[in-house]
Amino acid sequence: MNVLIVEDEKSLALELDEYLSHEGFTVEHARTRKSAEEKIFVNNYDFILLDLGLPDGDGFELLKMFKQLKERDDAVIILTARAAVDDRVRGLEEGADDYLPKPFSLNELLARMHAITRRKHKLESNEITVKGFKINIQNRTVSFGTERINLTRKEFEILNYLVLNKNRVISRTNLTEHVWGDVLEINSDSNFVDVHVKNLRKKLAQHAPTDWFETVRSIGYRINI
Amino acid sequence: MKLQFKLALYNTLTKVAIIFFTGGVILISLEKISYHHISLRLEAKKNEFLRSLSTKRISQILEQHNSFTDYNILKDDYIMLKQVKYEHITTVVDTFSTAQRTIDKSTDTYRILTCKFNYYKRTYILEVGNTIDAVEDLKNTIKGFTLVILIFALSLTLISDLIFTKYLLKPFYNIIEHKLIRVNDPLNFDYQKVETSTQDFNLLDDSINSLMKKITDMFLLEKQFIANVSHELMTPISIISSRLENILLHEGLTEDAENKIFASLKTLIRLKSIINSLLLISQVENNQFNKNDIVKIPEVLAEINEELEDRLEDRNVTLNNTLQHKQLIIGNRSLMHTLLFNLINNAIKYNHQGGSITIIDKIVNEHYILQIIDTGVGMDNIQVEKAFTRFEKLDTDERESYGLGLAIVKSIAAFHKIDIKVTSEKDKGTIISLQFNDRQ
Repeated sequence: MNVLIVEDEKSLALELDEYLSHEGFTVEHARTRKSAEEKIFVNNYDFILLDLGLPDGDGFELLKMFKQLKERDDAVIILTARAAVDDRVRGLEEGADDYLPKPFSLNELLARMHAITRRKHKLESNEITVKGFKINIQNRTVSFGTERINLTRKEFEILNYLVLNKNRVISRTNLTEHVWGDVLEINSDSNFVDVHVKNLRKKLAQHAPTDWFETVRSIGYRINI
Repeated sequence: MKLQFKLALYNTLTKVAIIFFTGGVILISLEKISYHHISLRLEAKKNEFLRSLSTKRISQILEQHNSFTDYNILKDDYIMLKQVKYEHITTVVDTFSTAQRTIDKSTDTYRILTCKFNYYKRTYILEVGNTIDAVEDLKNTIKGFTLVILIFALSLTLISDLIFTKYLLKPFYNIIEHKLIRVNDPLNFDYQKVETSTQDFNLLDDSINSLMKKITDMFLLEKQFIANVSHELMTPISIISSRLENILLHEGLTEDAENKIFASLKTLIRLKSIINSLLLISQVENNQFNKNDIVKIPEVLAEINEELEDRLEDRNVTLNNTLQHKQLIIGNRSLMHTLLFNLINNAIKYNHQGGSITIIDKIVNEHYILQIIDTGVGMDNIQVEKAFTRFEKLDTDERESYGLGLAIVKSIAAFHKIDIKVTSEKDKGTIISLQFNDRQ
């Protein structure tokens, strides 16, 4: 899958590039609105990561221009440091697929990209199997064999996020931010997520051993597949 | 009292004083002048009488009686001569007095000249009187006239003063009304000059306009600053955070290094939270949110309850929602959500294990009042005072806090014209009362 990063901040673009390449994406980079336009005209991308504040114009204008192109279904994710209250609403109204305020976690970006991929390509299976547990992302259910496991919304989110970021340590703060959103002040006592993980583990352990669901020292969790 | 009425009142009072003063002067001088004239006449009469005196005449006059009185038919004046015990008189002294005299059964007020003189070894006393009724009448007429003029002049000047000052002060009141009272948003200030030929008002108008211009500039500058801060701080934080995450991808990191990187990421999130909180406060205080949503308080509380369910469970705190009213509020829904969320979150955070939170509402004097009552650790008076100050936090080791939650609550409450009252007792709990002042 190929990604176009439209971002004038070179160092940030490089970090995004490194991370996404590591994840197997093919990455291109545009630093101005003009060069981004040229690239978009020429190539189809799976993802366009769009910064709103560009040196030669507003990201919204670029989005508007892109939406006028026919037969394109590149997913657009707006990445912005803007604080304006209605920017998020405007971004989604003008056809962006998602909106991620800076600073964001790269894991979170990846999770959102996966979610969009699943949404766009309905043919692809919505089921992921982890050590015998079937996670259905569409219906948000988890089952083992034929037995359905009842998870709360938050427990499902935690499992899903960890599975998406498999084999990687996910910190409690990162997990909290993903599950509870960007709620001010709530991140302060992130140990809170432990309660949910404990319950989640208990529910899974009733069906099969969960040694693959690892607690990483004082940091967070990792699912090893 | 309005300036207009003060001016009219002052004018009226000075006019009353002037009229009273001139009236008084006229009355006094009138009395003086007429008394003077009467005195001259009395003196002339006396002299005439004395000139025409002769022994024969006196004896003739006093023949039958030892006194003599004569008066004209209208009793306007009279003359009286009386013989008294002999005394030595060298110079004749005239004394004037005003007194009542009864002549022929009718009593009147007279101006009287009295003198004693010797005539052939005898002493006589002579009284010549002239009525002053005419003068008194004139005085009364003048008094009455003064009063009528006074009343007439007063009402006339009062009306004219009111009309004139109203006309004169109209631009002034325009300035006050349109440029001071009705202004609540500097961005929508009306810079149209108020029409007036009064230099002072022009000056006032210009001063207010230029002050407002300065405030607006500051306002826009702050808005700009907020936008800049968010962009200029968030971008570098974003770069550092991505860089740290990429470092974590490298294999062969020591456990210690990995721990430090995760700790740094956590610190970055903290930094982000603080900046976001401060930005939120600034944006609220700069009116950058609309407040046209219809907010259903019970609905918002139900949402918050759901979001905080796990925290309640974790700390074994029960939330009793006993709302009586289905209150609707015009405001910003997401801000109201943040406000109530922060308050309830605090009530959980600072509660005892197994404590409770009760939410009640009532309507007092047509104002909706919402109370959040917890059985938590409570605060003493000093802590209550500081509670809403930025970066002020209860000194607890276990609970991490940035000390901005209540500062956010305070700015959102002010934005929605909500009064917050905190009643708290150490180790007993806290009652937070929200009084909604906007008419709903």
